Amino acid sequence: MNNPIIRRELVGVLRNWRTAAAEIIFTMTLIGVVLLRWPTNAQVSLSGRQSQEMLRLFGYAFMTAMILIVPAFSAVSMVREKQAGTLALILNTPLSPWSVFSGKVAAISGVIALLMGLSVPAAAACYAMGGVSLRVQIEPLYLLLALASLEYTVVGLYISTRSNRIDAALRSTYATVFALVALAVIPQEFAQGRLTGLPAQVCQWLAAFSPLPAILQVFGQSGVTHAGNMSAGSAVLRYVVVSIVVILWGTRATLQRLNSGLFDRPRSAGTITDESSGGVQAYRRVMYLWFFDPQRRSRLIGPLTNPVMVKEFRTSRFGRSHWMMRMIGACLIVSLALMLAAARGSEVVNTRTMGAILVILQSALIIIMTPGLAGGLIAGEIESGSWQLLRMTPLSARSIVLGKLLSVGRTLLLLLLATLPGYAVMLVIDPNEKTQVVEALVSLVIMAVFALLASAAISSFSRRAATATATAYGFLAVLCAGTLLAWLGRGSLFGFTLVDWILRLNPVAATLSAIHAPGFGHYGLIPLTWWIMAYGCGLAVVVLVLRTWRLTRPQ
Amino acid sequence: MNGEYVVQTENLTKKYGEFTALDGLTIQLEKGKILGFIGPNGAGKTTTIKILVGMALPTAGWAKIAGIDCSTRSREIKKLVGFMPDTFGGYDNMRVHEYLDFFGAAFAIPRAKRQKRVDEALETTGATAMRDLFVESLSHGMKQRVAIARTLLHEPPVLILDEPANGLDPTARVEMRHILLNLAAMGKTLIVTSHILPELARICNMVAIITGGKLRAFGTLDQIMHDVREKRMIEVQLAAREDVAKAAATLTAVLGPQAQVQESLAEGMVRFTTTQNDAALVRMLAALVDAKIAVAQFRDVPQNLEDAFLSVTQAAQAPDKADGEKIAAGGGRA
Repeated sequence: MNNPIIRRELVGVLRNWRTAAAEIIFTMTLIGVVLLRWPTNAQVSLSGRQSQEMLRLFGYAFMTAMILIVPAFSAVSMVREKQAGTLALILNTPLSPWSVFSGKVAAISGVIALLMGLSVPAAAACYAMGGVSLRVQIEPLYLLLALASLEYTVVGLYISTRSNRIDAALRSTYATVFALVALAVIPQEFAQGRLTGLPAQVCQWLAAFSPLPAILQVFGQSGVTHAGNMSAGSAVLRYVVVSIVVILWGTRATLQRLNSGLFDRPRSAGTITDESSGGVQAYRRVMYLWFFDPQRRSRLIGPLTNPVMVKEFRTSRFGRSHWMMRMIGACLIVSLALMLAAARGSEVVNTRTMGAILVILQSALIIIMTPGLAGGLIAGEIESGSWQLLRMTPLSARSIVLGKLLSVGRTLLLLLLATLPGYAVMLVIDPNEKTQVVEALVSLVIMAVFALLASAAISSFSRRAATATATAYGFLAVLCAGTLLAWLGRGSLFGFTLVDWILRLNPVAATLSAIHAPGFGHYGLIPLTWWIMAYGCGLAVVVLVLRTWRLTRPQ
Repeated sequence: MNGEYVVQTENLTKKYGEFTALDGLTIQLEKGKILGFIGPNGAGKTTTIKILVGMALPTAGWAKIAGIDCSTRSREIKKLVGFMPDTFGGYDNMRVHEYLDFFGAAFAIPRAKRQKRVDEALETTGATAMRDLFVESLSHGMKQRVAIARTLLHEPPVLILDEPANGLDPTARVEMRHILLNLAAMGKTLIVTSHILPELARICNMVAIITGGKLRAFGTLDQIMHDVREKRMIEVQLAAREDVAKAAATLTAVLGPQAQVQESLAEGMVRFTTTQNDAALVRMLAALVDAKIAVAQFRDVPQNLEDAFLSVTQAAQAPDKADGEKIAAGGGRA
């Protein structure tokens, strides 16, 4: 504790009531998971099947919690100090960048260690049931999760040094963690049994960025990443190697940024293409197709346009047309790649697998983008002090809310539209899938609307964009990923009916069910999930309007 | 509306539970005047401003701007008031002209007029060169100019500026002073809060001093100076240094043994403080002359707004003062 950063960070975090709340929720969840499946009929499976299943459920819940909690601490750590001006003060002290970095890592690791300590009774309960190996399963599980937490801490801190806004840091960190956990394993899913040689090796190493294959191997499962086909210990070893490389890279990159250069940013020159030379104008017209040129002088807000909506577009990075086009372009490329894969042979990718991947991609886009865009809609204005300026305009609460919702809604709509070609290919390959595709699209739209309204409603309760964004991420992650834990324990730990009921709350599961994705085809989630989401949307709208009205009226 | 006052408050009171943030504030302000609204932190300035701009409702009393009640017709008040809070309220990734265009559109200024209004506001505040810069890249002084430009967009008759000179360098402060004086010359009525009292004293026609939620002084600067000070400092410059002790003794005899008379042999000067009026000062000067002391100068040391402010706030804290006693004259009318 000689490092003052550790003391300040750790004490600061532990004093925060949110940390205590997270610890309590975390502990209660793990205890709940174990208690739910604890044998009540005084019979224990001698094969250890039940305890193994309980351990798996515990492990997945634990991993989900880590993925949700770690970025919330690491992503805001540096950027908040930058905004408050304390990072400049710290860097002006004799403390070295390593002291600052290690102090923050140690403080976050301290919280993670505390959570791990709180999880021990639940793990011990699994062990006490018998059939679970301490050396082969529980210890490696803890090691992998500790390594993953450290990796995401370092990645989050690096992103935090690069960000200037807390919500942007949170969004980028959660997106990166999601990519590392989930997207990294998708190529291997394609490659397994179909690719050999170097391409297969590349896919395997890419999958090693995710802790999933290693954890599955510890649990002795194959499943999504076919870890069982690997040589013994290879997935765990690969992940350990890759995560250490990522940690070392992240540490070096963060340390390189922790100097006065962090604040050595020139003021914008305010360059405007309209006033540039003819050559520059011609070049930018070609490169940005003129309309998407970010340096083009924007036109005045139109008479029939909601000014708040335009303001949101202009102030949000992803609202600016050139960024929007980049994202849409990326979505189109992914969609076209899937189309190409499907066109080359249905034995490589069948339509249902492709549909499932499309749904997962779109759901991930919605879950990653929406809280980042909508979480700060109200809270960000209050935090920056611009809310009282909005209150001083004749704009009604309805106009403000509508403008803000439309700005995020349009971005989400364009992203969803960009992935439509994939569905078109599905219909070309198998016209009988039309009903499934339509239901999946309706589900996705409802999911996007719900995510938007829920994030905006959460935003109206907070005075800090970071808190609102993190809460919105947490809420959607618990709803969309947390409830999938029940699906993971289907058949053995949880009965069909219970899983069916839990999945009805999950719009991602409903979409996967609509598209008849493997493992979800048996659940009849539609239209009940649509109704639940519709009621949720209605509730969010009422809350949002009431809160905004309260915030705009005289105190 | 009586047609005379642009800003009026009557017995304006705001309570938060048991805490009284504002207690019976009564002021009036004519068109084209600049009111310096001063007080220590937590005095009730921001509460008053919030009520005036329609963001807070008074517990008792009323406030009107151009005859419009600030509580019941807050939507109309928004069009009559340009409010600059103490925080800038900027947006990232937005250029200055986009920022002003947004607020212009929010105030429903027609598109055809908006560009002209933005250009005029930028010109008035000397911020034309900043129109293409991103607001987050502006210096503090630049932001203050843009913030004032924002308040001017919808051409409000009343501007309420919370700490416009706060954090500005001397040059920017002088420029800010010119901007505010120009606005007053344009016929705008300004309410300006500031902790930089010498700066405020140079631009304000009227001053209101508020402490503990109560109005302690209100009037023109001269009125405040004249009425607020309880003790005047008088300097007596003597023709001969050797008369210093004799002059001090003479003044002590007139003022009484409790008088605070300071001798400065090096300067050949005697200073004393008194609460007595001009007639008493005439008697003191006569006593010196009668004592055959050659007096080169006998003058009232001018006090500034800071002195007045300190005098008022100290008087307000004095235990022998009635809690609600207003120290200054001016009667809440100007």
